Amino acid sequence: MDNVQDVFQETPQDVFRPPPMWRVFLREHWLHLLIVAVLIVLPHAIGWITGDSPFGRVRGSRVIMAGESTYWQAIFIEMFSLAVLVMSYNLMFGFTGVISFGHALFFGIGGYAVGIVVQYWDVDPNLAFIAGVLLVIFITSILGLLIGLLSLRLRGIYFAIFTLAIAEMAWLYAGSWRLTRGEDGLTINRLPEWIDPERSRLMVYYIGLALFVTAFLVIRRLVRSPAGAVFQAIRENEDRAKAIGYNTLRYKLLSIVVASVLAGLAGILMGILNKSARPELLGVTYTVDALLITIIGGVGTLAGPVVGTAGLHLLELWVRDSSIILSLNLGLFEFTLNFSQDWILIIGVVFVVVVLVFPYGLVGTWYRLRARVGDWWERRRATT
Amino acid sequence: MTRSDAVLITAIVGAILSFSFISSGGNVGSFGITILSGLFQGMLLFLVAAGLSLIFGLMDVLNFAQGAYFMVGAYLAYDIQHTGGLIDVGIADPGLRFIVGVIAATLAGAVLGVLLELLLRPVYKRHLFLLVLTFGVSIVMLEGIKAFYSVTPYTWTEFFGIREAQFTFLGQNFTQYRLFVLAVGFALMVGISLLLNRTRIGIIIRAGVQDREMVSALGINVQTVFTFVFTLGCAVAAFGGAIAAPFLGATITMGTTYLVAAIAVIVLGGLGSYEGTAIGAMIVGLALAAMQQFSITINQPVLASITPMMLLIAVLLIRPRGLFGQER
Amino acid sequence: MSAPLLRVREIDAFIEQFHILEDVTFDVPDGGITVLLGRNGAGKTTTLRSVLGMTSVTSGDIEYNGQSIVGKKTHTIAQMGIGYVPEHRAIFSELTVQENLRIAARHKDDLPRNIEMIFTLFPDLKRLYQLQGGNLSGGQQQMLAIARALVPDNRLLLIDEPSEGLAPVIIEQVIAAIKALAETKTVLLVEQNFRVASQLADNYVIMDHGQSVAHGVMASLSQDDEIVQRYLGVGMH
Repeated sequence: MDNVQDVFQETPQDVFRPPPMWRVFLREHWLHLLIVAVLIVLPHAIGWITGDSPFGRVRGSRVIMAGESTYWQAIFIEMFSLAVLVMSYNLMFGFTGVISFGHALFFGIGGYAVGIVVQYWDVDPNLAFIAGVLLVIFITSILGLLIGLLSLRLRGIYFAIFTLAIAEMAWLYAGSWRLTRGEDGLTINRLPEWIDPERSRLMVYYIGLALFVTAFLVIRRLVRSPAGAVFQAIRENEDRAKAIGYNTLRYKLLSIVVASVLAGLAGILMGILNKSARPELLGVTYTVDALLITIIGGVGTLAGPVVGTAGLHLLELWVRDSSIILSLNLGLFEFTLNFSQDWILIIGVVFVVVVLVFPYGLVGTWYRLRARVGDWWERRRATT
Repeated sequence: MTRSDAVLITAIVGAILSFSFISSGGNVGSFGITILSGLFQGMLLFLVAAGLSLIFGLMDVLNFAQGAYFMVGAYLAYDIQHTGGLIDVGIADPGLRFIVGVIAATLAGAVLGVLLELLLRPVYKRHLFLLVLTFGVSIVMLEGIKAFYSVTPYTWTEFFGIREAQFTFLGQNFTQYRLFVLAVGFALMVGISLLLNRTRIGIIIRAGVQDREMVSALGINVQTVFTFVFTLGCAVAAFGGAIAAPFLGATITMGTTYLVAAIAVIVLGGLGSYEGTAIGAMIVGLALAAMQQFSITINQPVLASITPMMLLIAVLLIRPRGLFGQER
Repeated sequence: MSAPLLRVREIDAFIEQFHILEDVTFDVPDGGITVLLGRNGAGKTTTLRSVLGMTSVTSGDIEYNGQSIVGKKTHTIAQMGIGYVPEHRAIFSELTVQENLRIAARHKDDLPRNIEMIFTLFPDLKRLYQLQGGNLSGGQQQMLAIARALVPDNRLLLIDEPSEGLAPVIIEQVIAAIKALAETKTVLLVEQNFRVASQLADNYVIMDHGQSVAHGVMASLSQDDEIVQRYLGVGMH
């Protein structure tokens, strides 16, 4: 009898004891944590290896941003901004199936709105900057809401055309408006010290990193929530999602508004880094970047935009610095391809090839491959 | 075309005409210039939009590379007509060189059109990819032109007979070249219309717009029809770019500019409707010219460049199915 | 007995993730009318579409005239002599009656050669020749759809629900026409209306839940109340 009771008391604890929370968390997130840790240490590590201080070089009474560490900081800040833009695009396009050809509109608004408030509002720069950020969040969410509401009436290609028209109009207008300083762009030189990349770049780096991590977590949370399931149902077949009884407009609005605000915040970071807002921020190039990187990285995957941005950005850096020249003699005329100058041409070709050969993008293809290898492994194990 | 359509179109054209008459300050001469310029631009728009509309109707895909074909046509015609470029054809007569240039540009457009269609075949079943792929191809073409030529705009400098000849009407000088473009464009408009209405392949295209599957169930290889339509559409766009070049020159941005305006045209006309495209092109051309005139009058040049987008937005908001489109 | 014109063997077909056809097997003898019977959603239309390659078959074989046609392109299969009259007619509404017929011609002389035969079957079409397809009534559209399949010299006609939504008088005309053309061609018919089917068909195949469950000579089916009740349900009489 005693033995039986022992068995009853012992067994459940032994067999069903769940692994501790931290271990589950680590197993699931070790890669994420590792990446964040590397990114936190990176400026200091580069500084330590090259001997250049991550805080810049002291020149007399001033500190100037020179040296390897600060150089790489700038590159990574740009990468954080682009990654947030691409992730936000992927939320809309990859997860919800809403095609926009005017996403740069929100990116540009981010840069311009902060710039205008900081430059023209004659108060304490800290106050002006924070007011600018709040204004960006306000404008992008309202505008996202309005444009999103139109997606009820304009579906698919019509919505894409509509957003293209709006963004192109804003781009042309920013290039000729006096308030935005026309084609020269708006110089932003009244930033508070703590966020001025010429004075405290390391701080901007960490703010950028924080924005990047936050955006990733927000999007991850969103697409893994019940709402995320509805997003994907809309992407697969909106009419069916509607027939099941979902208010698809509400979910599309949620996706579009979050994407718009994130794009606006990414635009602020780009404006800060460049210390200017130029019409290019609103131009079709950034939308194209977002679209291409989303597809190259992997449509509708969380990691795709990040891998795509990092990969392409570092590749671009390397190609621009290199001097690869391809000469082609076509008989009628000779054609020289200079890799460092014709970077976008190469990206375009890469894009076309990726769409045709790896339609699921780098990350998507990797997932499929992994699943297939996993299946094969399972089957092998089952048979032996 | 129903009676109410006719009334609507007359009202729109009337409004544009009176607007341009008022903004030209009641000056009959400059009003005439505006109208001619509007028809000229409308004709060029039609040449880009025709292919866009045919391809969309048949395959439900907006070919974003259409503008790039217009641009390539302009560059080729420019290069061949001007001596000392990348391509030297060795013909002394400038007029003849121009004709050779236009023919070469059209052929190049046709060949590139076939290539594009072949490239798109593997993704026909996936709509979204089809769309972004044409987008990608347009980038490749644009950057390819940049690599061959440069970003510096080319202005037409080589003068020849018809380019320079002028005629006087209402006390104003008009270039004959615009009339030439109008005539050629009109001939092409009628030609394509005859092709669509009188030939078997035209009947197949119109049937395919409605029900592709049934067409293939009748034993017709729809794939070759797709190839034909792509070839035709791209060749016509390249031809448009070529004959526009003596006026517009050759610039990197011209493709995108005309693409956005051409999208406005086909949305206004009703996606997939050929007669809608023809009428829409003329309306958008006239509206553009009127706004150009108006923007000069009030000294706001940006107004002219945002007109295509404003038109597009207005049509999408007010009547997304356009003038002749079916509800989709 | 001669070899069947169409031989369908254990075909499976999916639409998205749904298993629509499962081991469907039947023969269509050369000549005469074979009818596919079954409830809504039994897979009759999908079977016709599979024959034409419009729905792809994942396993099994389809032979037409002794030749395997599985995996071939729709237009290639059609060119082998199969005409299709789909459900809801699929008339090209923007095209005139003449153009609707002209598009079906595979050779230049197809239409001139067969137009008299078509006009004899459907005299109405002669009067409506220049009208747009969209302006025809349902019955006229049905006649046009059948006529369209008669323009080239097809040997097998796949006709899907020809009586659907038509007035009784028109149904009689359509029945007469199908009977007449079956004298020279083989017809595979999908028909919900049991009365129409029993008037027309020589042979039957019954489908249920994506499977072919019974087949035989039509005359014997009309006597067999049990099968009719079980697979076709009430209201089929």
